[in-house]
Amino acid sequence: MSAFANSLASAAVVVTVGAVVVLWRHRLRSIVAALSVQGVALAATAALLGIHEHDRGLLAVAGLVLLVKAAVVPGLLARVVAANPGARESDPLVNVPASLVVAGLLTLGAFVAARPIVALVGGPTGRLVPLGLATVLIGFFAMVARRRAMSQVVGLLLVDNGIALVAFLVTSGVPVIVEFGSTLDVLFGVVVLRVLLARLSAAGFSDLDQLRSLHD
Amino acid sequence: MIVLALVAGLGVLATLTALVPRAVRVKLVAGLLGLVEIVGGATAIRVLATNHAIVGHTSSLVPFTGVRIDLTPLGALFTLTTAVVAIAATIHWVGYRRHAMSSVSLSSAFALFVTSLLLVPAAGDIVTFLVLWEVMALSSLVLVAHDHAKRDETRQAAWWYGAMTQGGAALITLGLVVLGGHAANPSFSAIAASASHLPAATRGAVFLVLLVGFGSKAGLVPAHVWLPRAHAEAPAPASALLSGAMVNLGIYGIVLARTLLGVGATWWWLVAGFFGVISALYGSLYAATSTDLKRLLAYSTSDNMGLVVIGLSASGLFAAHNAAASSLALIATLVLVTAHALYKSTLFLGAGSVQYATDERDLDRLGGLARTMPVTTAVIVVGALAVAALPPLNGFGAEWLVVQSLVHGLSGADPVTTVATAVFVAALALTGGLTIVAFVKAVGVGFLGRARSESAEHAREVPVSMRIAPAITAAACVALGVAPGLAITAISRASDAVAPNRSGLTATLSGFHLQALRSAVDPLALALGAVAAALVVAGLRRAGGPRTGAKLRVFEPWGSGRAVTSARMQYTATSFAEPLQRVFDDVLAPQHDLDVSHVLESRYYVERVAYASANDDIVERRLYRPVLALAAVLGVRARGLANGSVHRYLAYGFVVLVIALVVVS
Repeated sequence: MSAFANSLASAAVVVTVGAVVVLWRHRLRSIVAALSVQGVALAATAALLGIHEHDRGLLAVAGLVLLVKAAVVPGLLARVVAANPGARESDPLVNVPASLVVAGLLTLGAFVAARPIVALVGGPTGRLVPLGLATVLIGFFAMVARRRAMSQVVGLLLVDNGIALVAFLVTSGVPVIVEFGSTLDVLFGVVVLRVLLARLSAAGFSDLDQLRSLHD
Repeated sequence: MIVLALVAGLGVLATLTALVPRAVRVKLVAGLLGLVEIVGGATAIRVLATNHAIVGHTSSLVPFTGVRIDLTPLGALFTLTTAVVAIAATIHWVGYRRHAMSSVSLSSAFALFVTSLLLVPAAGDIVTFLVLWEVMALSSLVLVAHDHAKRDETRQAAWWYGAMTQGGAALITLGLVVLGGHAANPSFSAIAASASHLPAATRGAVFLVLLVGFGSKAGLVPAHVWLPRAHAEAPAPASALLSGAMVNLGIYGIVLARTLLGVGATWWWLVAGFFGVISALYGSLYAATSTDLKRLLAYSTSDNMGLVVIGLSASGLFAAHNAAASSLALIATLVLVTAHALYKSTLFLGAGSVQYATDERDLDRLGGLARTMPVTTAVIVVGALAVAALPPLNGFGAEWLVVQSLVHGLSGADPVTTVATAVFVAALALTGGLTIVAFVKAVGVGFLGRARSESAEHAREVPVSMRIAPAITAAACVALGVAPGLAITAISRASDAVAPNRSGLTATLSGFHLQALRSAVDPLALALGAVAAALVVAGLRRAGGPRTGAKLRVFEPWGSGRAVTSARMQYTATSFAEPLQRVFDDVLAPQHDLDVSHVLESRYYVERVAYASANDDIVERRLYRPVLALAAVLGVRARGLANGSVHRYLAYGFVVLVIALVVVS
């Protein structure tokens, strides 16, 4: 295997492992840190592809991803966590060992489901597509299985990172304008959710199921 | 092409003009809309006169497919009919201002509705057609819901109409998309070229789907339930357009299905004919028994569309063995569609004037309007005579042609077609009788005799524009009845686009001649003969009456030898239809509620009798209500799925995603 394929695979694996770490850790600070590491890995994926393909646009995308997904978004979330440093995901709906088993099954399922895409894309990039799909599924599962509003936001960002990983690998490079648009969307979403989270914790809510009383 | 773009552009401009201040809004919008109608009508006339379709394609405006225009003579006939009806409706609308029809939303919806009605027949491909169709459906929904804030009935009507029109549009989309998927491009000409290569089962299924979809727009039973509600609740100009123009487009759709799919199998037309017969009988029966003037007209629309579909089915059934009768049936159908558009819009505009003047639609509370509203009464009488298919009005020629095609189509027919044709003729005969009952009731109870309520007593004739509008369409009814020549030429050109005319039908200034079938009729001569016969009878009666000097005194039957002194001694709409309702008791199943309370001291003395009878739509009660009740129960049960937990909602999405992945892999 070439150095390019090896380093690309490592970066993609870090993205998926970052998602697993979010399921594994209880402390919200660690969860946000995992998100940040995942952002770095995602940017590394884009940068590797950019170097390999000699595509300056993709390098610009990598810089953008590094700025927003590794620094700005985790930073915004970290400020919410900082208001309550010891906050933990104390009582998840699905406990941690079971969650890790489910994550394993989802990764397996992603490899099965992505076979047609792997065959279509081919090469070292195509083989890694299931990792992106697994990240999407694990992120979605984190939203379902975790109680804290913060975990839900992180789950949503995991889904977005997974989609971005698949996009990089399948199209070997997204146009800057497209990536710019979608990253901006995520940024706006996080800003809004951050305000919402701050308001929720100010009102004494941290568990989303407490909001059930709003149901008509 | 440019002309049609002009129509669309002016229509959009008229829609936007609704934003100007209220003081000038109606005049400006109506002026622009009049221009739209005249340009649209003139374009249609040009297509019919030159017999050349207007074809065009632009790849801008709509992504992927672009906009394709193909105004054939068939479409031009529908556009022209719509233009005439729309001119009358717009003039009526100018006078209708008092009833909040001048708001921004209603003015713009009216402009958009008229424009889309004119353009739907010009659509040349699936996307253009469906977009225009939806614009038409949604803008008319706004008009139906015009009074939603005040009246619960209006809200109900809007719900029913919205649900039915969207359901129909879904079916139409399904059918057209299946056809388009097999064609080289989504244009109707490409579909017509490729549809014959489809398997027979697919073509049959597509025909059924399109028949139900377009049939619901045409108000065929059992998909008619929106029609009496929406037509009755919409403001008069909108009702006239709904019944005089939009319903026609349902028929246009069925004819379009035939041009796309070919004549097809016998069973297609047996199914269509079945719905036609049911609609004709059901509509005319309810028209004869309803007491609400606008509901009566709406049921009569259902009845007429049933007759039209009978004609279309006859044309399809005869195509294999008798080309002359088949093409004649198609022409007769189109004549009936145009005739119906003209007389029904006359009647709806007239009914709108009555409602404007009295605030009443209930015939049992009208009466005596002939004295206070002579012009409106005159146009209603013309419209009623045309519906009843009496010479020399246009309804007569149309129904005569339908009957001729049915009678002549029998030669060479196989047993199934023979039986079906016999049923068609019987349905036509019964429907004709019931329609006469309905309109004798409408005119006799609503406009003659004495006023039955304060508001009818003090009715004043409506503003001049509201008198002119129905008079225009009424004049067209008379003109097309007396001198059908030009219209028949245009209509046979329109039907040539579907099937070549083999009937040898020609129409002169004063009558129809069927050379191939050796048959002819002259409506004007018939009418003059009838008038002459009536004069002779009247003269004989006078001659045979009492000698000069003795005074002839006439008394009301059951009046005990006295003249009618109280409005309550007259026939009401309910009592007039009562014998008929008794005959058809098993079909109509009216609900009676008799509540007798006795005096306390003796059971032989009655203190109070309360009687209520309701004659609501039986299809709605027996077919739709149970389904709706079931849906409501399921909806309440399904509420348990949504318990407010965000996690649960996320889990639903997650599970569906995983299942989708499993299914895909």
